[in-house]
Amino acid sequence: MSIVETKKLAYEYIRRDAEGNVEGITRAVDDVTMNIHQGEFVAILGANGSGKSTLAKHLNAIFYPTEGSVFVDGKDTKDESKLWDIRRTAGMVFQNPDNQIIGQVVEEDVGFGPENMGVPTKEIWERVEESLRIIDMLPFRKMSPMKLSGGQKQRVSIAGVLAMHPKCIILDEPTAMLDPLGRKEVIRAVTALNQVEKITIILITHYMEEVIGADRVIVMDKGQIVMSGTPKEVFSQIELLKELRLDVPDVTMLAYKLRQSGLPIPRGILTQEELISEIEKLKVAK
Amino acid sequence: MQLIVDHLSLQYNKGLSTEVKALDDVNLVINEGDFIGLLGHTGSGKSTLVQLLTALLEPTSGTIYFEGEDIFDKSYDRRKLRSKVGLVFQYPEHQLFEENVFEDVCFGPRNLGLDRKSVELRAYEALKKVGMPDELFYQSPFDMSGGQKRKAAIAGVLAMKPEILILDEPTAGLDPQGRDEILGLLRKMHDEDGITIILVSHSMEDVANYVNRIVVLDSGKLLYDDKPRAVFANYKKLEEIGLSAPKVTYVMDALRASGIEVPEDIITIDEAAQAIIKALS
Amino acid sequence: MIRDITIGQYYQTESVIHRMDPRFKIIATMVFIISIFIFTNPYIYIVASVFLGICIALSRVPFKFMVRGLKSVVMLILLTVIFNMFFIQGEPLFHIWKITISKEGVETAAYMAVRLIILIIGSSIMTLTTTPNQLTDGLESVMKPLKLFRVPVHEIAMMMSIALRFIPILMEETDKIIKAQTARGASFEDKNMIKRVKSLVPVLVPLFVSAFRRASDLAMAMEARCYRGGDGRTKMKPLKYHRVDFVGYVVIIIYFACIIFTGIYAHYLPFGEGL
Repeated sequence: MSIVETKKLAYEYIRRDAEGNVEGITRAVDDVTMNIHQGEFVAILGANGSGKSTLAKHLNAIFYPTEGSVFVDGKDTKDESKLWDIRRTAGMVFQNPDNQIIGQVVEEDVGFGPENMGVPTKEIWERVEESLRIIDMLPFRKMSPMKLSGGQKQRVSIAGVLAMHPKCIILDEPTAMLDPLGRKEVIRAVTALNQVEKITIILITHYMEEVIGADRVIVMDKGQIVMSGTPKEVFSQIELLKELRLDVPDVTMLAYKLRQSGLPIPRGILTQEELISEIEKLKVAK
Repeated sequence: MQLIVDHLSLQYNKGLSTEVKALDDVNLVINEGDFIGLLGHTGSGKSTLVQLLTALLEPTSGTIYFEGEDIFDKSYDRRKLRSKVGLVFQYPEHQLFEENVFEDVCFGPRNLGLDRKSVELRAYEALKKVGMPDELFYQSPFDMSGGQKRKAAIAGVLAMKPEILILDEPTAGLDPQGRDEILGLLRKMHDEDGITIILVSHSMEDVANYVNRIVVLDSGKLLYDDKPRAVFANYKKLEEIGLSAPKVTYVMDALRASGIEVPEDIITIDEAAQAIIKALS
Repeated sequence: MIRDITIGQYYQTESVIHRMDPRFKIIATMVFIISIFIFTNPYIYIVASVFLGICIALSRVPFKFMVRGLKSVVMLILLTVIFNMFFIQGEPLFHIWKITISKEGVETAAYMAVRLIILIIGSSIMTLTTTPNQLTDGLESVMKPLKLFRVPVHEIAMMMSIALRFIPILMEETDKIIKAQTARGASFEDKNMIKRVKSLVPVLVPLFVSAFRRASDLAMAMEARCYRGGDGRTKMKPLKYHRVDFVGYVVIIIYFACIIFTGIYAHYLPFGEGL
């Protein structure tokens, strides 16, 4: 069953110069058709300016399509009467943790969404506790977000979305402002949400290591989808990714270099374990 | 030109229950021609150290000597220091303010009290150096992409003609191409113009590929100060303090564990590829 | 220096004051402020200071932490003192150059300084022990009667709470911007006033740009979490008076009675009518 669906989605905005005169029109998203199924973990990759964030903001009705349409859980995002339903179904986590935490105590922030939805008090408390437990932040519930690390702040943001009981969570470059430990922490939490809670995850990023665990990778360039497939399929095409100003994970790059120097190593190696077993095979063959 | 850090310590909130030793008895000598990677987990004291190096903070004890002079001495001219030791902060948004990029880059040299002609010449050279396309010179810095803003910010400091350039995570938030451009630029400035560079970074891969010396801080203390290979050989300890070695170091380690003879001190992908080919032939 | 401003910050710990209802804390703070302004004599300030001391002890917020907050308003206090001292006329006490300092001037200045300090510490107890969310809820509830006059009470309360949350963030940001510009050779200590004001431009522009960016990000994040104003909203922590709040009301009434009593009968005590 599909949870998020876009049909020939296009988004244009008008560029203006300092005096407010129209300079031109930018088509940030161009003819994007995709279908994301319930329970899937989809990563959207792309260089800065590829349109991936603009696309993400359509998926919970922050932006509306210029052309085409977006359906969330079968509801058209242009239908204003369904707006709050859509935002509840598809929760969104943004890049800068400081600019999305409203409460000054962790638990109050997590409760913000359910409060807006009109959830009864007793249930809000249950939801807050449950969300914080899932995301492993329960011990921090009484703390001020200012005192938390970047990774912890992002987990609070995720808990805040989780408390709205969404079917799908969209994360718009949630790790771009974090250090490596924080990045790992957030990705681990997101992966667990997908595997244990069966929540659909749409992860927007430009860190290659983060998408290895995804079910599907969509690569965007100049507002269009240019590649789509399993991580293995996508990372097999190193030359194409380089052209799109993207990297590949280091292990994949190493395997690629070995292959280039004539060793018979298959394309699309993603993990250390895969690479080592391939090299061991070669050694035995010798 | 030499920068000597001598028993430098800085405590915040001294005497309160929230006392933090941001920097604890650090000794360090920065020589001309160094390309240093400064590593440490968030809160390890690296930002504090770089701010002390430019006299933006005052130490609680210890001091720093630049060209033999104590930079915290009351009579020392700190503006002179800042013209020679440049610091680029992590977010370019914290320094860009003029209507266009060119004017913004002029800000630094103008503060040095130069005449208009040399200010503009320096700004032009700096923007050329960072590879800013001519047609963007008169664009508002606020309309530019993340990578271009970063370049404009670096040019703004470069225009002061520093002998030492310190950059606080200059690649954070950039996409792979933007990252490679900035790092390539730093290498060029180091190799061609002989600028000493201190790169504060979280990315072990960036550091392994570019620097010739690594300084590691942990809880305000200096933990390692050595060649990259030697530092990354301690990857187990690095992990304990929230850092790591480059990914390929782990691959090499696992290969050795399964009986494939590869050297221990490999830190870049190219080295790793060559070592594996050698081990298999 | 900028980090030292503690007004509007929440200090997290467990205490009776922390547990009290924000409505009570707001009303009590208002009563307290009124109490130090209705009379002018030293005994009032003694009673008020003792009461304040007890509150500080109960709040378990380190006194040092509060005093640090005071540092940031030292200038304001000094200014008040100087104005009062120089411009209030009366019985001449002594002369400095051409200015006459009067007895009344010194007296008023001293009273004003004490009042301001008590006022600031008193209200910072409220903000230090109440989370902005509680404060918002409290204000919203206390101001509810104003809704009849079409005052957007919920919106005002929400705006205040968000402002409070972003003050420390923007302070930190200001600090960073000043440092970034100082590293580029900027100086903020010019003797010339015009140059000094001009030197603030490189700080203010990035600060405003960033504040607007944060505001727009935050608005988007709030909308994404289904925020649509006060209607139909439920509360995670609805305000409910507990026994401790009723005790609080009794205590504050007794305190106020003490003040009135001291104010009326103070002139029987030495210095009761002023120093």
